[in-house]
Amino acid sequence: MANEKILIIDDDDDLVHAMRLPLEAAGFKVFSAASGDEGLRQVKEVKPDLIILDVMMDTTTAGFQVSLTLRSPDPKSEYAAYSRIPILMLTAIHQTTPLRFGPDKEYLPVDAFIEKPIEPDKLIEQVRAHLGH
Amino acid sequence: MAWLINIRWLAGVGVLGATWVADVLLRLTLPVVPLYLIGVAILLYNAIFRFILNRLLRAEPRDLRPFDFLTKTQIGFDWLAMTALIHFSGGLESPAIFYFFFHNIIAAILLSRRATYFYAAMAALLVAAVGSLEYAGILPHLYVLGNDAAALYRNPFFVIGVVFFFVTTMFVSAYLASTLNARLRKREAQVVTLSQNLLNALTRLQTLYDVAEAVNSTLELEQVLDRLVSRTASALGVRACSIRLLDEAGARLYVAATYGLSGAYVKKGDLMLEQNPLAREVLSGKTITVADVSTDTRLQYPTAAVAEGIRSMLSAPLQGKKGSLGLIRAYSTAVNHFTSEDADFLTAIAREGSIAIENAMAFRALGQVDEMKSKFVLTVTHELRSPVSVVRSLLRTMMAGYVGAMTDAQRDIVTRVLHRTDFLQTLIDDLLDLAAGKSELAVREERVLVRLDEAVERVVKRFEVPAQEKQIRLEWLCARGDGPTTISATNESVDRILNNLVSNAIKYTPAGGCVSVALRASGNVARLEVSDTGIGIPEDALPHLFEEFYRAPNAKAQVKEGTGLGLAITRDLITRYGGQITVQSKVGRGTTFAITFPIVAELSA
Repeated sequence: MANEKILIIDDDDDLVHAMRLPLEAAGFKVFSAASGDEGLRQVKEVKPDLIILDVMMDTTTAGFQVSLTLRSPDPKSEYAAYSRIPILMLTAIHQTTPLRFGPDKEYLPVDAFIEKPIEPDKLIEQVRAHLGH
Repeated sequence: MAWLINIRWLAGVGVLGATWVADVLLRLTLPVVPLYLIGVAILLYNAIFRFILNRLLRAEPRDLRPFDFLTKTQIGFDWLAMTALIHFSGGLESPAIFYFFFHNIIAAILLSRRATYFYAAMAALLVAAVGSLEYAGILPHLYVLGNDAAALYRNPFFVIGVVFFFVTTMFVSAYLASTLNARLRKREAQVVTLSQNLLNALTRLQTLYDVAEAVNSTLELEQVLDRLVSRTASALGVRACSIRLLDEAGARLYVAATYGLSGAYVKKGDLMLEQNPLAREVLSGKTITVADVSTDTRLQYPTAAVAEGIRSMLSAPLQGKKGSLGLIRAYSTAVNHFTSEDADFLTAIAREGSIAIENAMAFRALGQVDEMKSKFVLTVTHELRSPVSVVRSLLRTMMAGYVGAMTDAQRDIVTRVLHRTDFLQTLIDDLLDLAAGKSELAVREERVLVRLDEAVERVVKRFEVPAQEKQIRLEWLCARGDGPTTISATNESVDRILNNLVSNAIKYTPAGGCVSVALRASGNVARLEVSDTGIGIPEDALPHLFEEFYRAPNAKAQVKEGTGLGLAITRDLITRYGGQITVQSKVGRGTTFAITFPIVAELSA
């Protein structure tokens, strides 16, 4: 349980900071990447136990693309080894906007959403739940 | 016609009655049998005419010729009957010869002048013939009024005198009756023409009113234009109508709406003002008739028009307050179809239509501005949202103690900052809702059947704890017997509406008060009422209540923070689903918000 690795893929430095502090205090090892491409590189390098992914980065669909790449059903995909890493997606999509979506195997293969702003205690709770604690 | 037959019943009965009176009461020596037979014959043939007339009246389509023939035949029969009557009642001595006058007058009323004179001549001829034949002894003379000693019928002076006076009387009366009748008919014709003109004018006015009403009852430009062309075509009784509007550069007229024209004709192209003297003339404010499309040199596409079957056109200018809008044009398949009244009529329609078109255009422009504004707000708030949520995330991390312990003073300041950013977040979320509701996002959302009773139950449950904490009684009244209250909306929106109203009610109701939500269905309308015993809303605040950013002064005094957007969003959502919201309130007594939604029939499983 100790020193489980968490990779945060988010281009907002401040938000990464807001998540890093409570996660590190809770005993996790936190890595971060500021873009989708860098995130994918780090996945291979760090081999994280859980990924926190921002839905919108430099391009609006970067987050979706990262999750689709990682969860590719193709067994020969270069990320096939990482397809079981839990992904929590950060969204700022407001509750009452008519745009509505949820985790979806085909289009948005993530495990759960985390609403911004971050409630530190809730974040840790969610991370632990998805790591099977 | 029926009138003639009705009178004849009297004539038949009269002959029978007079014969009986003369025979039985006056004891005159009459040839009773022939006279009775004449009376019976009159009644008999009259019955036959009646029967034929009924057949004719029922026949479709109506043809006037058989009626005319029937009239003449009847008069012919009457001649025979009258001649027989005169002979059997004493020839020239018979008082019955005066009866010919009736027919003279009837002929003058029913037939032409020439026919009347012909009738008078025939009657004179018949009477003269009877007199002459009796005088000559070829027909036996029957004494009716006296004995044979008088033998007036053998007196040539008497015979010639009676015949002369009868003939002159017949012709003079024929002249008088037919002259009077001709005058009456002329007057009658004038009255008919006048009333026809009046009726036409009334119909046009009515049509104009209908067009104006149809056109002004909508603010959708397409609808205004479509109604204008279709109503104009039917009002003028022509095949087609079109509206062309001037483009922004003012150089060409593009097709904005058509009725009754083929796609190919519509696509023939814009009217270029430079090449189209007719269009230029119309735009300068004149209504112009093209009597024959094939010969008029002012047209830009004469061959296309001829190929479409159009032979004449009428064009009127559409003039707005700020200049020319375009033109409206009616098309007929007949050469020289349009009269000057048609031109006046189309000009009037164009005048009404221009106002409606301009209003619709202004409304559209307003909508575009509103849409642009909403898009702007949507973008800005999206941009604002991200940094605010990061600030809140950081502050919460700090408050949760992940960056070390804070002094009480530090904690106090961070709490204040958090409080303010929380409010900022609410404001941004509300603005986002408001802008999203007004943008096309709202149109794209998928509606479902929402059961209002379930939604109310959901929301009331959510507010049970906050209400208890504030010592407010929260009631939920639902008339179950009324049937389902299902509407077409989204669950999120309905929850949001109820959330806003119930949370407001709790917010502005002091401890010990009561908040109640009631739902009932009446007809196909669901009525939801959220009532409280709270501080109420001042009367002068009521008209502004649903305005964006408006908060009633007593509400501000009671609860400092509030965006003033909640009710604006609520009303937006309600109207989006075809509902309405009204409010009744008394300061210090309480407030009731009433919402109505159209009920949608639930598809039975």
